[in-house]
Amino acid sequence: MGLDALRIDKKITFYLAIFLPILAVGLAGCGVDAPQNTFAPAGEVAEKQRTIFYMAMWPAVAILIGVWLVLVMALIRYRRRPGRPLPKQVHGNPVLEVAWTLAPLALLLGLAVPMVATVFDLGRNPKAEALRIRVIGHQWVWEFQYPTIMDEKGKPLTILGTPDRPPELHLPVGREIALEITSGDVIHSFWVPRLGGKMDAIPGRFNHMWLVINEPGVYPGQCAEFCGLLHADMRLIVVAHEEEDFQRWAQEMLARQSKGGG
Amino acid sequence: MATVSQPVSVLEALRRVRQEAATYRGIWSWIATVDHKRIGILYGVTAFIFLLAGGIEALLIRLQLATPNGDVVSPEVYNQLFTMHGTTMIFLVVMPMASAFFNLLVPLQIGARDVAFPRLNAFSYWTFLMGGLLLHASVLAGGAPNGGWFGYAPLTEFPYNPGHGIDFWAMGLQILGISSMASAFNFIVTILNMRAPGMSLFRMPVFTWMTLATAFLIILAMPAIAVALFQLEFDRLFGANFFNPVKGGTPLLWQHLFWIFGHPEVYILILPVMGIISEVLPTFSQKPLFGYPFVVFSGIAIAFMSFGVWAHHMYTTGLGPIANAAFGVSTILIAVPTGVKIFNWLATLWGGNISLRAPLLFAVGFIAMFVIGGLTGVTHSMVPSDYQQQDSYYVVAHFHQVLFGGAIFGIFAGIYYWFPKFTGRLLNEKLAQLHFWLMLVGFNLTFQPMMILGLMGMPRRIYTYPQGMGWDEWNMLATIGSFVIALSILVFMANVVVSLRRGEEAGADPWDGRTLEWSIPSPPPPYNFRRIPVVRARDDFWHRKYVEGPGGRPVPVVAGGAYEKHGHQEDEEHIHLPSPSYFPLICSLGLPIFALGFIFKDYALVAAGAVVILYGIYGWALEPATEG
Repeated sequence: MGLDALRIDKKITFYLAIFLPILAVGLAGCGVDAPQNTFAPAGEVAEKQRTIFYMAMWPAVAILIGVWLVLVMALIRYRRRPGRPLPKQVHGNPVLEVAWTLAPLALLLGLAVPMVATVFDLGRNPKAEALRIRVIGHQWVWEFQYPTIMDEKGKPLTILGTPDRPPELHLPVGREIALEITSGDVIHSFWVPRLGGKMDAIPGRFNHMWLVINEPGVYPGQCAEFCGLLHADMRLIVVAHEEEDFQRWAQEMLARQSKGGG
Repeated sequence: MATVSQPVSVLEALRRVRQEAATYRGIWSWIATVDHKRIGILYGVTAFIFLLAGGIEALLIRLQLATPNGDVVSPEVYNQLFTMHGTTMIFLVVMPMASAFFNLLVPLQIGARDVAFPRLNAFSYWTFLMGGLLLHASVLAGGAPNGGWFGYAPLTEFPYNPGHGIDFWAMGLQILGISSMASAFNFIVTILNMRAPGMSLFRMPVFTWMTLATAFLIILAMPAIAVALFQLEFDRLFGANFFNPVKGGTPLLWQHLFWIFGHPEVYILILPVMGIISEVLPTFSQKPLFGYPFVVFSGIAIAFMSFGVWAHHMYTTGLGPIANAAFGVSTILIAVPTGVKIFNWLATLWGGNISLRAPLLFAVGFIAMFVIGGLTGVTHSMVPSDYQQQDSYYVVAHFHQVLFGGAIFGIFAGIYYWFPKFTGRLLNEKLAQLHFWLMLVGFNLTFQPMMILGLMGMPRRIYTYPQGMGWDEWNMLATIGSFVIALSILVFMANVVVSLRRGEEAGADPWDGRTLEWSIPSPPPPYNFRRIPVVRARDDFWHRKYVEGPGGRPVPVVAGGAYEKHGHQEDEEHIHLPSPSYFPLICSLGLPIFALGFIFKDYALVAAGAVVILYGIYGWALEPATEG
């Protein structure tokens, strides 16, 4: 009797272990109070990336459940019991095996089509009217420059964070943002999860990426490439405004920059 | 004259030590051993000790991240911890664990008395040990390496990392690479040339096949990292500019070279374990492996394709849409042969007569967890989705599904399966089951929350995080899970200690095995096979025990399977075995001395190391092959 109880107990643990990951992925979708949640996109790029993720995730979840079901059924149905004869010696079934080679191949190639299309979409050159922003990574602080917004001396509006206060990158909503990303020392990576996936900041080269923000708000992000001692503290905040608010902010900052001497 | 008599007595002492080595008793017999089984045990025990070190590092990492703004360790120590954890688990745990199985099993599975080059085999082990010790010696020289296991330049370049840690890391990996290469050549030659009569390639056990595929991967992948590490050290020690953009170097060059090694490396870690699973499932289902040719060829396909996917580690480095699309498609395709293996394993279980003993449980745990690793891998291969996931905790979750849920579960399946073969005793089944369930629960508690953390925007390699990110509960769960895993490892260790003393006697064939290693006594005698077997079928030993009756059902052979018995003394005396040797160890000892010389720019030490290595090679070359 004790042994039977033990067996049932084991079974419950087994099912728990199996369904935990599913539960986990489900919960991830609901975690809205996470300011860097990739499931809560606030921009066109992040939305497209989430779509591609779902495209791979749902078939993956289905296959996972399928494999686990077969596994558990096999263990239950074909468990060794006293008196059972030795099983039939099946060496394989070429038709079946070719089928389960080709079926995943077809599924994966099907996934590859939208994937490649999105790669080219996200990798295209930014539109001419896009707002250019230069992002420069430093150990362990971000620097943002607005090359098209200059003071009277021709110096672009520049925002530089301090180690204990992450810099604010103010951006307009609805307009394309063209980021030119580089680094002054080691490799960093610019990442604001709710706006879009990351792009590395590599010394000696400029990487390009475009973003569009849907609505005004505050979107935190942080360096995603390990860059040394205080990598974890290399944070930033994107503050998105309506266009006119953004212009007002830019003029104010410009005035402050000129006054600050430069 | 005293100067003359002195060396004579030293030589005399050495001769006595050599004699002891030949007796198969005492510490010297282990140090000079060239027996593949003993080398396998040395590999396994050493790798397990490193597993404990890497595990403690992991626990410290989890303690630090258990709560926001944790201050268990400083940022500097944290960076050292995750660098050492990754480097240790890959190069000092999973790779040498695979080497342990290669050593223990390949000669037995192909019906050979040892590997092709027994002394080279000893050299591989000692060099692995020296590499691991050198890596850890960095702690005594001002701090462990802190640039991550991937060591991205220019962060690892001298101006950004002036301590010695990175030099120890680079030199340690270089030495470990020598060990892996020597071992890989050895096993390729062994498998191709030393199979028993009748053991054609397509009668080889799948584990041996996967060893062969892995050995080729090692030979082709290791040179890439060797070149990268040489370039890094030239930059650091002599001011070369391979990776320094200020002087015209290219930081991305490091990433290309590292991942041309690094991605095949993933398969170097997992293919041997896939081999283990392919042995355990048939034995415990009492059915042959379903679709042997498909399983073998998919393994080879994975090995080939693994060289064409490296840039999927670099999607966010700005390679451009054409390169990203191409590597995205090649990465998607590698899921096909991996899927084939999973389906064939399921079909092996289906319709079997499945014994739910510990080796099978761990093998099933492997399938159940590894499949998550494979499927999350597909979500990475989808380039735009990876732009979000790259360098997030989702990646940490993914590769732990592969390397822990996959490799470590598979390694434990192998340990529970073959432990009785090499010790003569079974591991305690109750403790084994407890170990399995604790590890399965602990594993899922630790790594599934990380999947959510990554998707909720938590980057990897951060020593802390602020409150209010929505990450607190998941991190706490992961930390709790990691301690459940630690508990499961303690249960395993207790099991080994108890079972070695009081474990049930195993006999030659406790599991009704299928392959040749089960046809000889447990533990096997030094010469393995008294008479070299003649192989007539795949799963030859099974076919000696059973014939296929009507309807494909096996019928036991009336004679009851001819286990090999210990032979007569006269028989054994005629078996030719390689003599023990100290020269492989001497050769290996020179390597860290040589490396330390470069690390500290002390060229006298370099010369001393070179002399020791050359002395080892010289003695090795002139040593008589057999004791006279």
